[in-house]
Amino acid sequence: MNPALRRGIGLAALASTAATVWLGLWVTPPSVQQGNLVRLVYLHPAIAWDALYVAFGLSAVCSLLYLWRRTRSLFWDRLAAASVEVGVVFNALTLVTGSIWGRPTWGVWWTWDARLTSTALLLVLFLGYLALRRVPAEPEVRARRCAVAALVAFVDVPIVHFSVNWWQTLHQNATVLNADLSPTIHGSMAWTLLLSFVALTLAFVWMVTVRYDIEVMRDQVGEEELEVSLAERWAEAQAAEPVMAGAGLPEGSAPPSPPTSGPAPLDPVLRPGEPAGSGR
Amino acid sequence: MWRDAVLVAGKDLRIEARSRVALWQVLPFAMLALVLFAFALGPGPDALRRAAPGLFWLAVLFSTVLATQRSYAVESGEGTRDGLRLSGLDPAGIFLGKAAAVFVQLALLEVVLWVGVTLLFGVRVHTTWLAVVACLLATVGLASAGVVYGALSAGLRVRETLLPLLVLPVVAPVLLAGSRAWSAAMSGAVASGVGWLRILAPFAVVYLAVGVALYGPLQEAA
Amino acid sequence: MSYVDAGYAIALSVLFAYSVGLVARRRRLARAVAVAAEDDAFASAATVAAVEGESGGDEPARGGGG
Repeated sequence: MNPALRRGIGLAALASTAATVWLGLWVTPPSVQQGNLVRLVYLHPAIAWDALYVAFGLSAVCSLLYLWRRTRSLFWDRLAAASVEVGVVFNALTLVTGSIWGRPTWGVWWTWDARLTSTALLLVLFLGYLALRRVPAEPEVRARRCAVAALVAFVDVPIVHFSVNWWQTLHQNATVLNADLSPTIHGSMAWTLLLSFVALTLAFVWMVTVRYDIEVMRDQVGEEELEVSLAERWAEAQAAEPVMAGAGLPEGSAPPSPPTSGPAPLDPVLRPGEPAGSGR
Repeated sequence: MWRDAVLVAGKDLRIEARSRVALWQVLPFAMLALVLFAFALGPGPDALRRAAPGLFWLAVLFSTVLATQRSYAVESGEGTRDGLRLSGLDPAGIFLGKAAAVFVQLALLEVVLWVGVTLLFGVRVHTTWLAVVACLLATVGLASAGVVYGALSAGLRVRETLLPLLVLPVVAPVLLAGSRAWSAAMSGAVASGVGWLRILAPFAVVYLAVGVALYGPLQEAA
Repeated sequence: MSYVDAGYAIALSVLFAYSVGLVARRRRLARAVAVAAEDDAFASAATVAAVEGESGGDEPARGGGG
């Protein structure tokens, strides 16, 4: 993405978020039902929407586009991965802000109602995606795996919603949460709410673009490291006596330890996606 | 032996720090277990609250199986296990090192699970020290037993399905005593809680001793 | 500290910390890519030199650039 455009989005996100906070905390009035607690409405719903619909919806669409031969490109895979990671952060934040809002409103930090339960399960579903993504593999293999995983997870979402809703309605205490988190909103509150959605979505977009770059560079570094290692190995083999090179202890799935003696083990092959922090 | 233990523990923990498998797989699994328990017993809070101590320890037990499997998976590369054997490190030291690494991972996991259970199941621990001591003792036992059985099943291709089958019955007393101890800690019934510690402590000691004594022969056999 | 303040504080600090983390990760990776690219060029040059140091010909000339 055009760096100037990205910077613009970032600044806009920062400005609109600051404006939202200012309006939310000081300018808008407290509500009749919830008093000052209503101010959390300028954070929680927008974060939730970005996490659940924008982030995971985007990742599902990208996964489809990757799997469909005509539009297959690692661009979609990387965008999906970026979207999921930022989505997981927003998802966790949704649960936390919801919990903080819920404590004074309902008296409990948590309850297994339909919405909370679905959100929590969604978090675990996509944590699984992130865990899967960290498993070392060729970019195309990993992309295909993750795309399928994302779609399988996403397809589960309506099923989870439906079954958890049913689960709740069958339970007698389903009405505990009648004091809903959705207050009635007018005037300045409504505008601030709208602004909060804009602000947090801009922030989300900015984060995804940065995360996308990271994903691209990770693969690049992986490839570079592989080529460098291959070149080094080749040079060593030429320079050394024609005996069995590579007598160093293979390390299975362990990352490379700093070379104590002999040539560095040829193991970037196993991990094209690893970040470059460990050096060579 | 102690120096070797520190060496091996350091290696295992460093591998974990770099690959972060426990962080990304075992920890989410434990949280998932809590959510699944809620699906099974909820949505009303009562059943969950009553079952919380047992559910906590169930989650810990399942995570122990995963952590132990991972402890051996890092050495599953060609020749790595042989290399470890030929390295001249004292087998008892290797055992202690691996068990220590698993202990650390499990202990951290238990902290997170503790928070999770408190938040998600709505329970509070009354007598904190009792719960902490129970966790420490139990974790020593779990780590030791896990590493011993891990070594037993290390070379086998059916390790994934065999290890849980082997380990879980053995650590069932830990589940029992740990749940009761935690239940006591939650209700403040210190005396009965301490009684259960008297099961956790010998279990830990026995399995530490077993591991130290038998790890050498186990390594040869695997 | 009220619940509202706590909520805002946590949400904003998490978003901020994550953003900073992203930027830091990207910067570190950009450096790594640059370093790796340099090394790639260096290593290729070394490889080419090594290959040509031998009596050329027999060796498959795939050492350069990769």
